Amino acid sequence: MTFKQQLRTVLIFTKLSTKRFFRDKLALFFGVLFPLIFLFVFGSMSKGNTDTNFRVAIFNQSKETYAAEFNKELTSSKTFKVSKDAKNLADAKDKMAKSQLDGIIVLPEQFGAVNPDIKHPQGVVQVLYSQSNANTGQTLIAVLNGMVSQMNAHLLGAQPPLAVQPAPVNDHHLTAFDYTFAGLLGFSIIGIGIFGPINVFPELKKQGILRRLHTTPLKVWQYFTATMLSQALTGLVGIAAQFAVAIGVFKLQVVGNWFEIIIFTVLGIFMILGIGLAVGGWAKNERQAAPLANAVVFPMMFLSGTFFPRFLMPGWLQSLSDWLPLTPVIDGLRLLTTEGAHLVNLGHQLALIGGWTLLIYVIAFRVFRWE
Amino acid sequence: MTETILEVKDLTKIYDDRPVVDGISFNVKKGEVFGILGPNGAGKTTTLEMIETMRPIDGGSITICGLDVASQPQEVKAVIGVQPQTAAFQDKQKLHEIIEMFAAAYGEKVNPWEFLEDVQLGEKAGAYAESLSGGQRQRLSIATALVHSPKVFFLDEPTTGLDPQARRNLWDLIREVNARGVTVILTTHYLDEAELLCDRVAIMDKGKIIAMDTPKTLIKQLLDKGFKKEQHVEQANLEDVFIDLTGKGLRD
Repeated sequence: MTFKQQLRTVLIFTKLSTKRFFRDKLALFFGVLFPLIFLFVFGSMSKGNTDTNFRVAIFNQSKETYAAEFNKELTSSKTFKVSKDAKNLADAKDKMAKSQLDGIIVLPEQFGAVNPDIKHPQGVVQVLYSQSNANTGQTLIAVLNGMVSQMNAHLLGAQPPLAVQPAPVNDHHLTAFDYTFAGLLGFSIIGIGIFGPINVFPELKKQGILRRLHTTPLKVWQYFTATMLSQALTGLVGIAAQFAVAIGVFKLQVVGNWFEIIIFTVLGIFMILGIGLAVGGWAKNERQAAPLANAVVFPMMFLSGTFFPRFLMPGWLQSLSDWLPLTPVIDGLRLLTTEGAHLVNLGHQLALIGGWTLLIYVIAFRVFRWE
Repeated sequence: MTETILEVKDLTKIYDDRPVVDGISFNVKKGEVFGILGPNGAGKTTTLEMIETMRPIDGGSITICGLDVASQPQEVKAVIGVQPQTAAFQDKQKLHEIIEMFAAAYGEKVNPWEFLEDVQLGEKAGAYAESLSGGQRQRLSIATALVHSPKVFFLDEPTTGLDPQARRNLWDLIREVNARGVTVILTTHYLDEAELLCDRVAIMDKGKIIAMDTPKTLIKQLLDKGFKKEQHVEQANLEDVFIDLTGKGLRD
C-alpha cells in the first residue's frame, strides 16, 4: 500500500466514525448536551457571584404610605433578592441562621410617618444580620446606607455637600465566568478525549471488533489518526455549542481570534485523546480501564482549574498543577478567548502541550492491544 | 490442484508451559477446501490464529502464498480473508459503510452493493448491522472478508449457532467462494459439515494432528479396520424432516 492509499484509509475511517457519532443518541448526549448542562449549572453559579446581590426578607410593620413606597423601592432594587418564604420574623431568623438569608430588613411601626415639623416622612430602618456572617452584614448595611442617603437627598431636595461617585472600570476585566467557562471547556475535552475511548475500546475488544480489524493490514497509526480526526470534528461541534450558549446566555465576550481558538482546541483534544487511547487501548476490559482512567482524570479535573480557578490554590499546589497536561489547555483557552492573547503569546502552553502529546502518544502506541 | 498454497511445519504454541499446538505439520493445496476438526480445546482455533498472524508462533514455521507468516505479517494479511468465530460489528453503521470500511482497511475501493448482493444482503444495504439476524451477520462477515479478493479464506466455526436453513445457505456460499478459485480453510466440530464441504480434513486432538486425508478415505480406513455401525434402514433423519417441513428458504 502506498502512503497515499494509507491516508485514504484514514480519511474513510474518519468519515465513517464521524457519521456514526451523529447517529448515536447516547454519544450526542454525552458529547454535546451533557457539557451544556454543566455550563448552565456552573454558569449560573458564577454569574450570581459577579453581581453581588443579597438574599433578604423584608418585614413592613408600618401602615404609612411612605413605608409601602420604601418597601417597593427595596424590592425592585437589583441589589436585593427578596425572599417571600419566611412567614414571620422568627422564621426569617431561623432561615438566616441556616445561611438561607443574608439579612432581615424591618420597617417598624410608624416608619414613614410624616413629621409635622419638617414636613417629611421619618423613620429608622432596622437591619438584622448574623454575627457569624458579619462581613455580609456590614456590606448590606453600607448598601442600605447609600440608598437611604440618596432618598434623603431626594426628599430634602438638596445636594449634600460631599458625595462619593463610584465609577466601575469593567472593560477587559476577567469575570468569574471567564474562568468557569475555560474550565468547563477543559472538562468537556476530558469527556471527549478520555471518557469516550475508555468506554468504547473495552467494548470493541470484548466484541472482537478490534481483533477483526487487526486481521486486515490496517496499522495502529491509521486507526489512531482516524480516531483523532473524528473526535476532533465531533468535539468541535460540542465545543461550538458551548460557545454559543456562553455567548448567548452568559454574555461571554470573546475577544480572541476564532481560527486560533479552533486550532488550539484541536491540539488540546489531540493530546487529551492520547490519554484515552493509551488507557482504553491498553485495558483488556472495563475493570482495567475504569480505575486507571479515574486515577488519571480526577487529579487533572481538580488541579487543572476545571471546576474552580487555580489562583485559589496554595502556591505549591499551583506550581505542581502547572505541569499537568490539562492546565495549559484551560489556561490557553482562557487567554485566547477572553484575554485577547494570540497563539504566538502561548509559547509556554504550546510547549507543554507538545511535550505531553509526544510522551502520551509514545506510551499509547506502545501499550495498545487489539484484543 | 497440485500447487501448495499453505505450508505448516512443526508448528508449536505453548501456554503456561503446556503445548496447546504440539508440533503439527500439514500442507494445503491451491483451490482446496480444507477442514480442521476436533473437540473443543483441541487447538484448532489457536492453529488458525497463528496462520492468520494473530498469535505469535512459539515454534516451527508457516508459509502462505510463498510468504513467511512470522516475518511478513502485513503481506500475509493482504492475501488472506478472515472470518472470526463471532461476527460483531459496531452499532449505528450501515451495511454498505461496513463494506466500505473493510475495503479501506485493505486499501481497496469497491462497490459495496455488489458485495452485499453476493451474500444476499443487497436489500439490507442501508440497514444498521445491529438489525441483522445471526445468519445475516455471518454472511456480512464473509462479505467483509472478501473485499480484497483474498487467495485464502479462513473460517472459524462458521455455522455454530445458526439454524438449519442458514447453515445450508452458508455452505452454498462457501462453495461459491471456493468455485471462484479461493482456497478455503475452516474449522468445525460439525462432522456432517466437514464431510459435505471439505476436500480434505485434519483431525486434531490435544494439540496434535491424529489423522489427515479426504473424508472418504478416512471412513474407508475405519471400515477396513472392521468397524461396524449399528445399521439403520431409515433413508432420512430428523434434519431432513425439519427441512422438508420448513423448507430450504432463508429465514432472515
